[in-house]
Amino acid sequence: MIPGAFDYHAPASLEEALSLLSANVDDAKVLAGGQSLLPLMKLRLAKPEVIIDIGGLAELNYIREEGDHIAIGALATYTDVAESDLIQNRCPLLAQTAVVVGDVQVRNRGTVGGGLAHADPAEDLPAAILALDAELKAAGPDGERWIPASEFFVTMLTTSLLPEELLTEIRVPARDGYKTSYQKVSRQAAGFAIVGVAACLKESADGVCEDISVAVTGMTDVAFRAEKVEAALRGEKLDDSAIASAAALVTDGVDPIEDVNATPAYRAHLAQVYVERTIQAARAG
Amino acid sequence: MAKADPKQYVGLAARSKEGPRLVTGQGRYTDDFTEPGMLQAVFLRSPHAHARILGVDAQAALSRSDVFAVVTPEDIKRDTKPFRPGRYAAGLKKPIAEYAGAVDKVRYVGEPVGAVAARDRSTAEDVLESIAVDYEILPANTDVHKAIAGEDASVIYDELGANLAWQGTLEYGDTEKAFREADRVVRENLKIHRYSSTPLEPLACIASYDRFSRKLTVRTNTQVPENIYDALRDALQIDDIRVIIPDIGGGFGQKIHLIRKYVVIVALLAVKSGRPVKWIEDRNEHMMAAGHACEQHFDVEAAVKNDGTVTGLRFKEIDDVGGSISTLTIHFTNKLNNLSNTYKVQNIRADGYSVVTNRCPVIPNRGIGKPGMCYIWERIIDRVAQDLDMDPSEVRFKNLVQPEQMPYTTPNGNIYDSGDYPGLLKRALEKVDYPALKEEQARERGKGRYLGIGVVIGVEPGGRNAARDMAIFPEMKETPGSGGINGATIKLEKNGTIALYLGSPNCGQAHETTTAQVAAGILGVSPDVISTTTPFDSDVAPWGVAAANSGNNFHLYDIGSIIGAATQLREKVLKVAGHILDAEPSDLEIADGVVTVPGFPRRRLTFAELGKAAYNNQSLLPEGIDAGLQTTFYYTFPHAQPNMVPGQDRRVRAQFTFGAGAHVAIVEVDPRTGKVDVLRYLIVGDNGTIINPGVVDGQIYGSAAHGIAVALGEGFVYDDEGQLLTITLTDYGKCSTAETPNVEVEHAPSPSAFTPLGQKAAGEGAAIPSPAAIASAVENALEPFGVKVRHLPLTPERVWQLIQEAQA
Repeated sequence: MIPGAFDYHAPASLEEALSLLSANVDDAKVLAGGQSLLPLMKLRLAKPEVIIDIGGLAELNYIREEGDHIAIGALATYTDVAESDLIQNRCPLLAQTAVVVGDVQVRNRGTVGGGLAHADPAEDLPAAILALDAELKAAGPDGERWIPASEFFVTMLTTSLLPEELLTEIRVPARDGYKTSYQKVSRQAAGFAIVGVAACLKESADGVCEDISVAVTGMTDVAFRAEKVEAALRGEKLDDSAIASAAALVTDGVDPIEDVNATPAYRAHLAQVYVERTIQAARAG
Repeated sequence: MAKADPKQYVGLAARSKEGPRLVTGQGRYTDDFTEPGMLQAVFLRSPHAHARILGVDAQAALSRSDVFAVVTPEDIKRDTKPFRPGRYAAGLKKPIAEYAGAVDKVRYVGEPVGAVAARDRSTAEDVLESIAVDYEILPANTDVHKAIAGEDASVIYDELGANLAWQGTLEYGDTEKAFREADRVVRENLKIHRYSSTPLEPLACIASYDRFSRKLTVRTNTQVPENIYDALRDALQIDDIRVIIPDIGGGFGQKIHLIRKYVVIVALLAVKSGRPVKWIEDRNEHMMAAGHACEQHFDVEAAVKNDGTVTGLRFKEIDDVGGSISTLTIHFTNKLNNLSNTYKVQNIRADGYSVVTNRCPVIPNRGIGKPGMCYIWERIIDRVAQDLDMDPSEVRFKNLVQPEQMPYTTPNGNIYDSGDYPGLLKRALEKVDYPALKEEQARERGKGRYLGIGVVIGVEPGGRNAARDMAIFPEMKETPGSGGINGATIKLEKNGTIALYLGSPNCGQAHETTTAQVAAGILGVSPDVISTTTPFDSDVAPWGVAAANSGNNFHLYDIGSIIGAATQLREKVLKVAGHILDAEPSDLEIADGVVTVPGFPRRRLTFAELGKAAYNNQSLLPEGIDAGLQTTFYYTFPHAQPNMVPGQDRRVRAQFTFGAGAHVAIVEVDPRTGKVDVLRYLIVGDNGTIINPGVVDGQIYGSAAHGIAVALGEGFVYDDEGQLLTITLTDYGKCSTAETPNVEVEHAPSPSAFTPLGQKAAGEGAAIPSPAAIASAVENALEPFGVKVRHLPLTPERVWQLIQEAQA
C-alpha cells in the first residue's frame, strides 16, 4: 500500500514549523525521520492531510554538554546518540539503548524526538529517559515549557504535548559514577521490545545501593518506572537474592498487555527476569 | 574424436553468472518494468473469515475518470470460467467450481473479492474504500478437530455438506501383522504449524491485451509458467497467451498456485480497460492470502521390536487446508515422496483427513508434506529410543537402509537410486565428537546450563512425477500428467557465443551458472561464453510437464534437457565444421570454442567463423543438413519405470532421485525465558555429484535456515474468529540473520545411478529434517525437566510453558 495524497510543507525554521502547525492543527502530522509515521501512512492507518516535514531543521539537530546536563536536539538520530562520545562518557544508558533500536536503517533515519513523541508502547528510549529523569522541551505558539519524563507519556501513542507543540529538546542529567544497562527481549534482533528494561544505579564500594532507577517499556500502554523495585533495593546490599526478590515486584499492580508476541503471564514473567538481569548487567558493567 | 565431456566443468566453484547482477541491484524484476499507458491495480479483499456476499456497490468507483476498470464478483462470474479441478481435488465426490475471485462467499480473510485499475496506485487504493460490500457474516471454522467430530460451526462449501472434505488411506505391506507381532507399540501426537517461505519479492504481474490480435501477454513472477498459461486459458477462454518471467525474488513454492487467481483478475482488468495493468502485492496481502504451508496434526504409532527394530508405522494425519479445495490433498500425497524416510520398514499405513477451514489456502512450500513426514519419523524414532532406553542414533542405525541394498525399492514403490545413510550419520556423529559432546552436556547440566543434542536424518527426494496423486485417487481415469518432460533450446550465435533457453524460470537458484557449466563441457567452450536467456518467454522457451521451478526438478529435468540439446548441437557443429574443413566429423576436436583437425594446425574454425558460415553461407553447408546451429531437446527420465503410474497396488515413484542428509543441532535453552540458541548446526549431506559447490551450499544454507526458523517460532497465528494476527514479518517472527545460526556443511556424495552426471537435488533438502532436528535438540536439552516436544513451533514462550507444564 502507499499513502493517499497530502499537502507537504518543509518549514525553514522552528518558528515557521510552529506557525504551520498552529494553522493546521487538526489535519497535520509532523514528519522527522519518518520511521514511525511513514509505515502508518503506507498502511493507511494514518491519513494526514498535511505533512510538516521538520527533518531539515538544523537548529534541532545537536548533542551538547550544558554543565551537568546533556542537551539533545529532537532531530538527533539514534545513531548520533549511540555514537556520541559525550553520551557514551557521561550518560551511557542512552547510548546503550539507542544502539538496539530497530535496525541500522531505522537508527540512521529515525530521530530521538520523533520516537519519543510517537510514544509507541514498545519503543526502547522511553525506558531510558524515565530511568534518567530526563526533561523534555516543548515549543508552542506561547513559547517553551519543560515536561519531566515522568509526565510525558500519557498512554499508547499519546504524550502530554499539546497539538500545537513540538518536542524540541531532551535534557538528560549526566550520570557520572553510575552503572547502567538496557536489556530487551524481542523476537528479532531488530524487533520491538516485548519487554525492555533500563537500569541506572550507584553502589558503594561495599556493594550497597546508594541510588537506583529502573524503568520498563513494552509491558503496558506506556513505559513506567518500577518504583517498588527501586524502593526495595535503595540502601540495601545488592546481592543476588536481594535483586531477585526486588525484581519480582516489577509486576506488582501492573496489568501487562497481550499481543501475538506474548501472553500477559509470559510478559510479566519476562519483566521479572529482565529486571533482575538488567540490574546484574549494570553492576557487571 | 575428442569426446564431449559433460563433467569437464562439473564440481568447479565457477563464478556466479547471475549473482553479481542480483546483488548489485541490476536484477530486473516484474516491478521494474513499465509499459506505455500502464495502469495500477489493487485488490479488494475480504475482512471476514467467512461470509456470504450479498451485494457489491462499485458505482462510486466506476464513475471516476481516473478509474479505468473495476472487477466485482458479478464480473468474475460473468466474464470468467472456473479453474479446472486439479490433481489435488480429484477426490471430491462433487466437483466444486473455483473462480479466480470470491463469487458467492468469502472463505478466508484477505480472499480477493474484486479489483480496481486506476491511473496510479494511490488513486486505486482511495477508490477501494468507496466500494461497498454487503456481507452476511457466518461463523468461522478454525478448528480441524471440531470438523472431524462433526461439530462444524458452519459449512464452508455447501456442496460438501461438511468441512471434512476428503479422507483416504494408503497402506503398504501388512501393518496389522506388524503391530500384532510387535514387542511394543510407541505412540505420539505431533503437530506442525502454518508457516511460509516469505520470499522477499511478493507476487507481481503486468498484463496487457492486444484486442486486434487477441493476444494476452503477462509478465509475472510465477515459478510454473504452465499453471499461469492453463489458468488464463481456462478462466478467460483466451488461447493465444504469452507468459514472460523476469528475475524472481525467491519462490520456494509460494509462487506456484494462488498466484494464478491474481494473474487472471489482472488480465481481466487489462482486457476491460484496454490498457496494460500492473499489480504488485503488498507484504500484508502476501501474508494473508498468498498461501501457507499446511497445519498438520499427526497421531503416530510405531510397531517396535525390543532390539529397536521398527517393523511398522501407522499415522493419522489431519490437514487444515484452508478456504479452498484446490490443494486439498497436497500435503498428504507429498508424504509418498519420503514415506519411509531412510528406513527399511516394510509396513506403513497413512490415514489422511483434509479439512477445509476459514484460513488461508495451503500451497506448495519448500518440501510441502515432506518436512511433516520426516518430523513423524524422527520424533517417533526418538520416542522409541527413550522407550527402550537406547541412544537415539543407535535406533536409527538399526533401521537405516544399507548401502548394499541400493538401488532400494521402498514399500510404496519409490526407488532410492544410491546412498550411504549409515555413513552419513556416522560421519556427522564423528564430526561433532558425539561421546565428548554428551559428556560436556552432562557436565554443563551440573552448572545449570541446558545443552541439547538433536541428531536426525532425512532423504531429499528430487524430480517430480505428476502421476503420484493417482495413488490416492484410483478413480482418476486420466493421468494428470506423468513422469517428467522438459525441454531446453541451445543456439550457437553468429559471434560464437552460446544462448540457452530453459523450460523453467530461475528463482534465484543460479540456473544460469549451473547450466553453463554443464553445457560448456559438452560443447567444448568456456562457461563464460554461454548465457541463459532471461526473462523466460513462453513464446520461445520449450515446454514440458516438468517445466517448472518446483519439485526439486532442476537437477533432473533441466540438466537432462541441456545435456541432450548440447549433445545434439555438438554433433551438428562437427558435421558442419567437418564439411568446411574437409575432414571426417569423428576426426575433429573441439576446445575453447575452436574446432580443429588434429595434426593440421591451420585447419581450424572458431565458433564465430562457424556461426557466420552456418547462418550466412548456404554453399558452405553439407548437402541435406538442416541449416542453423540451434537444437531443442525434450528430456524424459529414462528410468521412470517401473511404477511411473500407480496401479491397483497404489505403488508409485513419487519422485525419482534421492539425496539425503544427516543433521546435528546443538542448542542451549534458557529455562527461565524459554529462549533457544542454536550453538552449532551441522549437515553431512549427499546431494549426488555436485555441479557447483557454491550453488549447492547456498541452497543448503537457505533451506536449513528456513527449517530451523520454522521450528523456533516462525509461523502464522489466527484467532478463533479466523483473523490473521501475523500480517507483518515482525509479528510472523521471521528470523533475521542475527538469529540464524551458522550452518556447517560437509558433502558426502553418492552419485545417482540414474542421472547422467550422478546429480541429485539440493533445493529442499535441509528444510526437510531441520524442524525435527531442532525439536529433538530442544527436548534433549530439557530432559531434566521431563519436557516432551510434540508440537511446533518452539517459540520462547511455548518452551517456557512446556517447562512449567512438565514441572506442574
